[in-house]
Amino acid sequence: MALVKIAWRSIWRNRRRTLITLSSIVLCLAIAVFFIAAQHGVYDRLVDEAVRMQSGHLCVEHAEYIEAPAIDLVVRDVSALRKRIERIHGVESTKALVIGQGVAKSASGSVGVAVLGVEPEVEMRSSPLARKIVRGSYLAEEDGASAVVGAELVKKLKLDIGKKLVISSNDMGGDLVEEQLRVKGIFETGSTEVDAYVIQIPLGFARKLYGMGDGLSGEATRLGIVLADADERGEVMDGVAGLLAGEQAVRTWEEVMPDLAAFIEMDVVSNYIFQGIILFLILFTIFNTLLMSVLERKREFAVLLALGTSNGRIKIQILLESAFIALLGVAFGLLVGGLVTGYFQAEGIDLSSLMEEGMSISGFAMDMVMYPALTAELLAVLGAVVFAATLLMSLYPMGQIKRIPVADVLR
Amino acid sequence: MGDSIVWLRAVTKDYGQGDVVVRALRGIDLTLDRGDFAAVAGPSGSGKSTLLNVMSGLDRPSSGEVSLDGRDLTRLSRSELSRLRLTRIGFVFQAYNLLPVLTAYENAEYVLMMQGVPASARRERVMGLLELVGLGGMEDRFPRELSGGQQQRVAIARAIASEPALILADEPTANVDSKTAAALLDLMQQLNEEKGVTFLFSTHDRKVMARAGRLIRLVDGRIAYDGEAGSLEALDADEG
Ligand SMILES: Nc1ncnc2c1ncn2[C@@H]1O[C@H](COP(=O)(O)OP(=O)(O)OP(=O)(O)O)[C@@H](O)[C@H]1O
Ligand SMILES: [Mg+2]
Repeated sequence: MALVKIAWRSIWRNRRRTLITLSSIVLCLAIAVFFIAAQHGVYDRLVDEAVRMQSGHLCVEHAEYIEAPAIDLVVRDVSALRKRIERIHGVESTKALVIGQGVAKSASGSVGVAVLGVEPEVEMRSSPLARKIVRGSYLAEEDGASAVVGAELVKKLKLDIGKKLVISSNDMGGDLVEEQLRVKGIFETGSTEVDAYVIQIPLGFARKLYGMGDGLSGEATRLGIVLADADERGEVMDGVAGLLAGEQAVRTWEEVMPDLAAFIEMDVVSNYIFQGIILFLILFTIFNTLLMSVLERKREFAVLLALGTSNGRIKIQILLESAFIALLGVAFGLLVGGLVTGYFQAEGIDLSSLMEEGMSISGFAMDMVMYPALTAELLAVLGAVVFAATLLMSLYPMGQIKRIPVADVLR
Repeated sequence: MGDSIVWLRAVTKDYGQGDVVVRALRGIDLTLDRGDFAAVAGPSGSGKSTLLNVMSGLDRPSSGEVSLDGRDLTRLSRSELSRLRLTRIGFVFQAYNLLPVLTAYENAEYVLMMQGVPASARRERVMGLLELVGLGGMEDRFPRELSGGQQQRVAIARAIASEPALILADEPTANVDSKTAAALLDLMQQLNEEKGVTFLFSTHDRKVMARAGRLIRLVDGRIAYDGEAGSLEALDADEG
């Protein structure tokens, strides 16, 4: 169609301006793709590590535990329940956890700690913490009074591999209990909150410590559910809910780790602002180009109008020109952004040289190698937004056509 | 008014409001007949462009009547005027007539295309016209690859392509040298004589005026002379 031809040639008439406009769209869009994907990558990994280290993507706990965590609010018959949960499609593994508070004491002092009773084999398979042992070794199934402790706690209590520490706490009946443990391994996650505060001990020993039922009708504070794919959470959650007794409830990781959820929420909002600014820059560039190109062609349009061309036809020409610029900019922007982001997604970006201290978010150590998470959805949404906004913005230059004083311009 | 194409009665045109009104036309009575080859002359600011614009419906008169091909322009809407120009009037402007992104051929066929003439019929007519205006072989050149005179020839080809009732040309030779101007006049005259195309063109150039079959001289928005171009010398002293 002739209009398409005229529109296409028109955008290349001022080749320099079109190329500058296209490069800025491509640059901004690529930056937006990269940063949003990087942000998703950080969150995905953060959440994945956190849920694997703690209570899973979902967990079953006593219905009242969330309001007032107490050691006597337990999930009963854990062994039977987990067998049924593990049959639900999408469940990678389940992990029984005993979670208690206590005071850790050594000859050098005492510190309040979180005591985590874990199943060593399960943790070895699914938890990043088990892989972050810097000295000694992680717990094993047959271990009794052994503990792995964080490097910070080791410093505070002047502990070492093989040394003893005493945990004192209250059991389910409310009685004061004390047990002596030997340090088997020292972990360093990079997060002060974890490294200075968490002690992991074997599940069986933790049950003994707190006076919980062991064996077939074992009890636990939580039964964590690790998913193979976090996106399948909804279906799994429904499946689990159908298996529960009245006093039990299934929780999401956001409910169990509100701090982390709140942090991500906040970070997402602040990133919206950043993304908004980038988007504004793209759109401003396009708008400026569209308007300039119409205003400087007043005479050209006046000739066409004088010859009897309708306003509508010229408006369609402008719309087509805008669409071409948007289409080219979006296509190349997504291509460049996608390729660059995809490269780093495969290779990873090592941030350790930037942040020697390491970084932790809401108690969870960040991996120093970042992997952006690029999705087709992200590309589609960004592309569609820029494209649609461009067409919308071309309404203004289109409106300028009927303001052209044809007779005066041609005089 | 059997053979009249344009008919103006007591036409005035004022620009601006209040104290600063410019009276560009002050009562024009004029009839253009089919086959006229007429020039509008007059000092700068005398209202030549305004007169042409009022005739084509690009500008509306402040008072008076204008009819083109029997239709009262003052009663037509903007889009009806646009449609009328598309089918009944050909235009040649002083310069930058052509769409820079279209070739000579594409520019010449533009009006036909807008009228919905099928491509094959357009091709035949436009190729013939480009040949006629002396641009055979230059169909694929873009305006920037043509001289000013060649560009005006393309504009003339475009103007006559749809066989309009009238061709209005506002200073078509103002931007070309006198040799080119003479050649353009030859072309227009040939089209007028052979094809019976009606021309009204404005000009400052006395040589161009002398070529017209009919001369209309404007002074201060009024017609000061309307007649044979031959007796021009006696009439004008202030032309340059
Ligand atoms: N839009 C406008 N607003 C105000 N005054 C105008 C406007 N257009 C034209 N005029 C005035 O109307 C008068 C006639 O202008 P017009 O352009 O018709 O003259 P012209 O004979 O074509 O002059 P030239 O030979 O310089 O082209 C001039 O005084 C001009 O300044
Ligand atoms: Mg003029």
